[in-house]
Amino acid sequence: MPKLILRYDERELQECAVGTHPVTIGRLPDNMIVIDNPAVSGRHARVFREGNHYVVEDLKSTNGTFVNEKPIARHTLLEGDVVLVGKHSLVFTLAGGEQAAVQDAADPFVPEIGGTMMLDTQKQKQMLSGMDHGRPSHMHSVIPKTAVPAPPARTGTVRVVSGNADQSEYSLMAVTTIIGKADTAQIRIKGWFKPKVAAAIARKGDGFTVTPMGAAVTVNGQKVASRQDLADGDMIEVSGLTLEFRLA
Amino acid sequence: MRLRVGAATSVGKVRPHNEDAYLARSDQGLFVVCDGMGGAAAGEVASRLAVETIASCLNSGEQDGQEEGTPDSGLSARTRQFGQAVRQANRAILERAQGDEQHAGMGTTMVGVWVDGGVVSIAHVGDSRAYLANASGFETLTSDHSLVEAQVKAGLIDREQSLKSEHQNILLRALGRDANVEVDLAEVTVAVGDRLLLCTDGLTRMVSDDQLSGALQRFRGDPQSACDHLIEAANNGGGPDNITVVVVEFLGSRLSRVFEVFNR
Repeated sequence: MPKLILRYDERELQECAVGTHPVTIGRLPDNMIVIDNPAVSGRHARVFREGNHYVVEDLKSTNGTFVNEKPIARHTLLEGDVVLVGKHSLVFTLAGGEQAAVQDAADPFVPEIGGTMMLDTQKQKQMLSGMDHGRPSHMHSVIPKTAVPAPPARTGTVRVVSGNADQSEYSLMAVTTIIGKADTAQIRIKGWFKPKVAAAIARKGDGFTVTPMGAAVTVNGQKVASRQDLADGDMIEVSGLTLEFRLA
Repeated sequence: MRLRVGAATSVGKVRPHNEDAYLARSDQGLFVVCDGMGGAAAGEVASRLAVETIASCLNSGEQDGQEEGTPDSGLSARTRQFGQAVRQANRAILERAQGDEQHAGMGTTMVGVWVDGGVVSIAHVGDSRAYLANASGFETLTSDHSLVEAQVKAGLIDREQSLKSEHQNILLRALGRDANVEVDLAEVTVAVGDRLLLCTDGLTRMVSDDQLSGALQRFRGDPQSACDHLIEAANNGGGPDNITVVVVEFLGSRLSRVFEVFNR
């Protein structure tokens, strides 16, 4: 249930839950929150529920009611709002308060949590098969398992046609294969003035792409501006290296 | 490559508070967007905890031994480390939720990119999204872990219907709900001029992919204005949910021109 926390001078004096009945605030002893201070009117303000919201209303008090330092006559409360009455403050918090409202609106099979719902695995299957109008029960397979790329149906290799690299042929096993001088590069270029990372060949779906990184890249003599798809037989030139790409 | 970054978040026009959280660390090349859920302030706690845990894990290089994806997956060590950080965040949220009744049941989506030069590691759980705009167009890098997405993939409904479905808010995966969360991991290469966009569903439900792509094109070179513009567009559409967007633009490094001269 949402509540109001009465504070004065950094000290917490009282907590008051806001339920179906309005919470009244004032100097007189019949208020739910009594603030015995001359700056506070006998019946100063009240907080009540209105639909799905909570509202604070000033009861035409002498010194006024403030929310977050602004004077208000009536204000819909948000989490963390500070209501100032005289020198006392009331902090409004929903803490655990959506529970009740949520139960009212909840679907019979899924717990609602702040608008977004999460299905557990069992309920996922239930729900997906429940919507499945007469389809066979392979439905659970539609739940995306993981995007860790499945082993590619096609394999890529590059053969060094000319230039100075650490191998003469490379099979493209990684999702991203780096070409460069860096230790982390799978296709290692040798020689002075070569960039640490010159380009990358990356898996994309069933195929491969090449992206220039620290160096100019051409494919079949055409300069590559950004990421470009590769086709079987493409000749890639980068940093003095000529590579033939094969897709099998 | 140097990065130019814009980021913005908005509570929207309906929700009482903002449960989204984001992280935009250009120095680390780390950008994360989370959409929290859970009663009271719990959603905020979950999303905040996720971005903080991921940032500190990757900052300290902390390893927990549980590899996300084996080396056979072909993913780089860096991408797998990103996956571990997300799993760590999952555990952190679960532990907080279990230790405190007020936070029980909280969870969060996450989508993040970790940039290493021109190679970008992507991690993703839930229905927040990552997009890439480059010379060849505009593409989605993630696939929502939502009921409607599963229904589209199964051929039960088409894309058009999915946008109107009453089940749009049902997630199949989130952080903080299960000890063993599956984290989608991927890699993409980027070149100078490319732009990445991360966002929560508060944006994508109000703004079409075409509008996203258009905004990135129009505010090229000014990612902050792109973010501000998109937030405004979602709010003008009614702003029913919290909205968060991060745009990262890749700029040429000052050295790259020198390299190009040498490698011509």
